[in-house]
Amino acid sequence: MSEENWIEVGSTDSIEEEDLIRFDHQDKTFCVYKLTDGFYATDGICTHEAVHLEDGLVMDDEIECPMHQGIFNIKSGEALSPPACEDLKTYPVKVDNDKIFIKID
Amino acid sequence: MKNNIIILGGGQAGIYAAREIRQNDTKSNIKILGEENLLPYERPPLSKDFLLDKKKEEDLYFHSSDVLKNENIEFENISINKVDFENKKLFAKNDNVYSYDSLLISTGSENKKLTLDNNLKNDIYYLRNLEEAKKIKEIVSNKNKITIIGGGFIGLEIASSLSQLQKKVIVIEIGNQLMGRIIPKQIADLVQNTHIEYGNEIILNKQIEKITKKNGDYEILLNDNSLIETDFIIAGIGSTPTVKLFENTNLKLDNGIVTNQFCETSIKDVYAAGDVSNFYHPFYERNMRLESYQHAQNHGICAGKNIAGVKTEYTSIPWMWSDQFNLNLQLTGICDEYDEIIERGNDINNGVIYFFLKNNKIRGACGVGIIGKVGRDIRITSKLTEKDTIVDKQILSDQNIKLNKLIQK
Ligand SMILES: Cc1cc2nc3c(=O)[nH]c(=O)nc-3n(C[C@H](O)[C@H](O)[C@H](O)COP(=O)(O)OP(=O)(O)OC[C@H]3O[C@@H](n4cnc5c(N)ncnc54)[C@H](O)[C@@H]3O)c2cc1C
Ligand code: FES
Repeated sequence: MSEENWIEVGSTDSIEEEDLIRFDHQDKTFCVYKLTDGFYATDGICTHEAVHLEDGLVMDDEIECPMHQGIFNIKSGEALSPPACEDLKTYPVKVDNDKIFIKID
Repeated sequence: MKNNIIILGGGQAGIYAAREIRQNDTKSNIKILGEENLLPYERPPLSKDFLLDKKKEEDLYFHSSDVLKNENIEFENISINKVDFENKKLFAKNDNVYSYDSLLISTGSENKKLTLDNNLKNDIYYLRNLEEAKKIKEIVSNKNKITIIGGGFIGLEIASSLSQLQKKVIVIEIGNQLMGRIIPKQIADLVQNTHIEYGNEIILNKQIEKITKKNGDYEILLNDNSLIETDFIIAGIGSTPTVKLFENTNLKLDNGIVTNQFCETSIKDVYAAGDVSNFYHPFYERNMRLESYQHAQNHGICAGKNIAGVKTEYTSIPWMWSDQFNLNLQLTGICDEYDEIIERGNDINNGVIYFFLKNNKIRGACGVGIIGKVGRDIRITSKLTEKDTIVDKQILSDQNIKLNKLIQK
């Protein structure tokens, strides 16, 4: 794992618990979540249609798309409820000195 | 025990029911009889991304034939034209006979047709299925000025898609607002403004007197004597449940097939789900019939459970959406039984929502906004409705306070 793939997202207090922030890097969009047991990251765009998940609802370990209520597991990216059927890509997250980093391949 | 389970109607409710039955019952024969020569597919994109060529036919199917094969669910392309509930038999046009132990009716709904001169019957187009969508898509590629009769969801979605294909679109609506009375007028007006901004012409409060064919084009005479010239006409004037097959049987019908909260009809071992069913909703304590994606899915699943012997009440709070241009409109619950309305937001860019309350509890809500802006709040509203929560109206009306706070523990 090379160090340069870890991208700084922001400080740990920039996300409320059971919520998310959108993070844009180069031409890609990610969502970074704070769940009860830590931070997670997924692609920022729904796999059903090109809609930003930043406006979605975070409940427990799930993110629900604001457009048609497709649901994904935030930790595994698994598509849990139609119309979403393609999984969401997830990314490793680490916290260092109160800063959140995600590893983008 | 091994049963013969037949699902009449191979649409959304039918496929979800079939798979749910299989989840709970590995032995019974499950057969879907569908008159469209297609595996079950999603209808919402037909008026939107399919017309816009952003989705192809193969993107519409709920599942591949492999999924059905793996789950041992049979699909047969056949149209049923007679039912004998007493002897538990279905008859097809080609004389095939199908016997069942349990039957699910999921025949959906069909478009209302305009009553016009017979010689115009083939000139007016309607949109319900993939075949019709393909035909419309093909023909409009050579047309420029298109008239949509009916300003309901489907008509407006077609209007939005055709406008994005650079067509001149006119929508004629008989009522005094778009999308009927279930949508608050303020929201209907916001949607109307967007259509106008994109160049569509919206005509309200007008009725069609006569349509005349002229050199391959059409002249539409309205009841104020104005004339519209157009080269293609699509009508979306509402739909009715597909129940003709059952009209002379003892199956109880009333705006669809009457079912209880377990998807059971008036006849033992006969169930109904989706657009065709007028079901009892225990939360609202009344019957209702819905035509929506989420309902067809959840009602199909509920029927599947009950058919497989897992007694399950249907309690899903209604929800539907419509996408037009860059707007997403969502509706949850019911918006016609209320003693108070609360508004959240007033700018379509951030989303505008109207909540309908009765005795300080939310019964329903309707919102519209630029894509993504109302979904979360509408979803939270469904949850609050379901839990019969007494809500803090201050929070509902203040867009600066996130509604998440109302549902998180
Ligand atoms: C153009 C369009 C756009 C839509 N957009 C949205 C949207 O944006 N949001 C939303 O929430 N909902 C939308 N809907 C509604 C949603 O698609 C329907 O509510 C849903 O498909 C209903 O599912 P169903 O299984 O009850 O019926 P259907 O999916 O209609 O399936 C019924 C099937 O039964 C078959 N059948 C009928 N009679 C017989 C017979 N005698 N023998 C054999 N087969 C028979 C029919 O051919 C059909 O294939 C839209 C619908 C349409 C048509
Ligand atoms: S765009 Fe996310 S569920 Fe449809």
